[in-house]
Amino acid sequence: MNTETKPIRVWDLPTRIFHWSLVASFAIAFLTAESEKLRDIHVVAGYTLAGLIAFRLLWGFVGGSYSRFAEFLPTPRKLIDYLKSLIDGRPQHYIGHNPAGAVAIFLLLGFGIVAAASGWAAYEDLGGHFLEELHEGAANGMMAIVVIHIAGVIVSSWLHRENLILAMITGWKKLRNENSAG
Amino acid sequence: MRHILIIAAALFASSALAETPRDFLTRFEKEAGAAASAERGARFFNTSHGGEWSCASCHTERPAQAGRHAKTGKAIAPLAPAANAERFTDAAKVDKWFRRNCNDTLNRLCSAQEKADVMAWLLAPK
Repeated sequence: MNTETKPIRVWDLPTRIFHWSLVASFAIAFLTAESEKLRDIHVVAGYTLAGLIAFRLLWGFVGGSYSRFAEFLPTPRKLIDYLKSLIDGRPQHYIGHNPAGAVAIFLLLGFGIVAAASGWAAYEDLGGHFLEELHEGAANGMMAIVVIHIAGVIVSSWLHRENLILAMITGWKKLRNENSAG
Repeated sequence: MRHILIIAAALFASSALAETPRDFLTRFEKEAGAAASAERGARFFNTSHGGEWSCASCHTERPAQAGRHAKTGKAIAPLAPAANAERFTDAAKVDKWFRRNCNDTLNRLCSAQEKADVMAWLLAPK
C-alpha cells in the first residue's frame, strides 16, 4: 500500500464558508417552507441563499484555482469517462470536483437561482399559482441534488479512502502519488 | 405530434374538470360521516385552538373581505367563494393549504368534520 502522502490546499476559505452557509440557509428555508408563522425566517433564508449563489457565481471566475468553473467544467466526454470508471470499479481520482459532482454543482446553482427568483416573485404577488409550483419544484430539485451529492460524497470518500467532509471543513486533502487524473 | 395533441387535450380536459366549492363540502361531509354545521364552522374559524392564531387572524372574521397575513402584513384575497371565484376549485391546492394552515393554527391536521363545518360556513349566505 502506498502511504506516501502530500497535503494540498484544495478548497479556499471563501469556498468553504460559502458551502456551509449554503447548507445552513437551504436547510432553514426548506424546514420553514410550510409555515406561515415562520414565513419571515423563510424569506430571510431565501435571500441569504440568493446572495450566496451570487457570490459563488463571481467566485467561479476569480476564486482559488479549484473553485473556478473553468477548472471543473464538465464536458460530456469527461462525464462519460468518469461514470465508466466508476462502473469498472477503477474510479478516476480528481483532486478538485469530479465531473459528476460538477454537474450536480451547476444543477444546484441553477435550481437555486430559479427557487430564489420564483420565491421572491411569489412573495411580491407578481404571479399566481404557477410561481408557487415553480418555486416548490425548484426547491425539490435542489433537495434531490443534495441527496445525490451526500450519497456521492460518502461513496467517493469510501472508494478513494479520503475524508471529503473533513476536506470541505479544513480545505486540505492528502494527495497520494497514484492514479491522479485531476 | 398527434400524441402530443392528445396529451395536451387530456391535460386541458382534466384542468377543466375542476371542483366547485360545493364538491369539497360534499367530500368532507362524506369523509366525516356526518352533516356539516355552518354555526360550528364559524366558531371554529374565529377562535384560537391553544395556539397564537385562529383562521380569522389572517382571513378575518368576514372572509368575504380581503384578509391580511398576520406575520408579513401582505394582502390575502377573500376566502369565501362568493367573493372570490378562484377559491376551492382545485383539490391539490385545497388539501395543501388546509394542511399548512391547520398546522400553523392547531399544530395538527384538521379533521374532516372541522373542514366540512368551515366549508359550510364559507358557503352560507351572509
